[in-house]
Amino acid sequence: MKAIQALAAATLTFCLGNSDLSNAAPITFNTALPVAEGEFIFRQQIRWLRSGEDPSDGDRQMHVTAAISVLGYGINSKLAIFGVLPYLDKRLQADGSGSKIRRNNRGLGDATAFARYIFHQDNAQGRSFRLAGFGGFTAATGDDDDRDRFGLLPPPLQNGSGAWDRFGGLVATYQTLDYQFDGQLSYRRNGSANGFAMGNETRLDLSWQHRIWPRQLSGGVPGFLYAVIELNGLYQEKNRVNHRRDQKSGGSTLWISPGLQYVTRRWVLEMVVQKPILQNLHGSALENDLIFTTSFRVNF
Amino acid sequence: MELADDYLRGMTMTAFRLLLLSLLLAATSVSAQDREPTYAIGVDGLACPFCAYGIEKQLHKLDGVDSVETDIRLGLIIVQMRHGRTLERTQVEEAIEKAGFSLRSFETAEKKAAP
Repeated sequence: MKAIQALAAATLTFCLGNSDLSNAAPITFNTALPVAEGEFIFRQQIRWLRSGEDPSDGDRQMHVTAAISVLGYGINSKLAIFGVLPYLDKRLQADGSGSKIRRNNRGLGDATAFARYIFHQDNAQGRSFRLAGFGGFTAATGDDDDRDRFGLLPPPLQNGSGAWDRFGGLVATYQTLDYQFDGQLSYRRNGSANGFAMGNETRLDLSWQHRIWPRQLSGGVPGFLYAVIELNGLYQEKNRVNHRRDQKSGGSTLWISPGLQYVTRRWVLEMVVQKPILQNLHGSALENDLIFTTSFRVNF
Repeated sequence: MELADDYLRGMTMTAFRLLLLSLLLAATSVSAQDREPTYAIGVDGLACPFCAYGIEKQLHKLDGVDSVETDIRLGLIIVQMRHGRTLERTQVEEAIEKAGFSLRSFETAEKKAAP
């Protein structure tokens, strides 16, 4: 049960953790996205996650495909609001009594809404520095009581957590014509549902984008091709089961995420591969192998 | 008699020259009227293609704007107005700030209208 709960935490982090903090900008988080007054931004991400490093004897393997839709709107030049809605397809395979057990689920996940306010901005020719605060919540819109022929699905296979979560943080962006740096520090307080609360999370996300094409700028507004490298650090506190801390849960993960991003004035195409370089998970939680994200963004 | 003929010839030439000058001035005047107001706007903070769209969209909302061209390297936007329309600095400053950037410079530039 504890392993399942830990896996639930990892899965939920994959589905929600990065999307509430989103992206010219970074690929694995959304909070640095510039939105002009009265302008909409729509971003569609497809993510594939594979978790297969099972420290238990269960030989578990988890595959999650998520279509994550993000819509942002600039209320004014400082304040923007965002909504995030994931659609999930989850597949878990584990050793049963003499045969493999396969359990699947799909459907809408928990929706997230957040607002960002830029409280400091310093512009000069060809460069910009912005510092903003953000805060929001994740609503329990996904089902958390789906069943299959074996009975109630375990938490990792549920599309929703059943809990309402709150989060907030700071995001900084320094952008020039040649490169861009984004950094985000955030804290998520996870709510409780069905006697279970996932451990609260502290995240540090860093993103560096370097223009590799065109090498020299001439006139007009050409498309920019960026090489991207991101670091995503996550520290998760202990889960709470019936208001008691589960000592075999929580832990920390550090991801390295190389990617490519092609930016035009109306749309952005991007992809990134996230590979854990450090995983210190307590208990028998499934370790993440790989996350591949591809994304399309348009403003209108 | 020859003197009178010379006088008349001279007067005719002068009148002809005056007529030519008048026609030239008239043509110059029409050409000046055909020049539509064009502005060179310097923007601070413009550093990626995706940002340019937000500014262009705000400038297009201004009454009388015909076309907007951005040079991202120079942080410069050329705005051409429709016939007889002009822009005020305060209008432009407000539009640029709505897009999340800062106005660096605002100058009138002349650009000949397309035939």
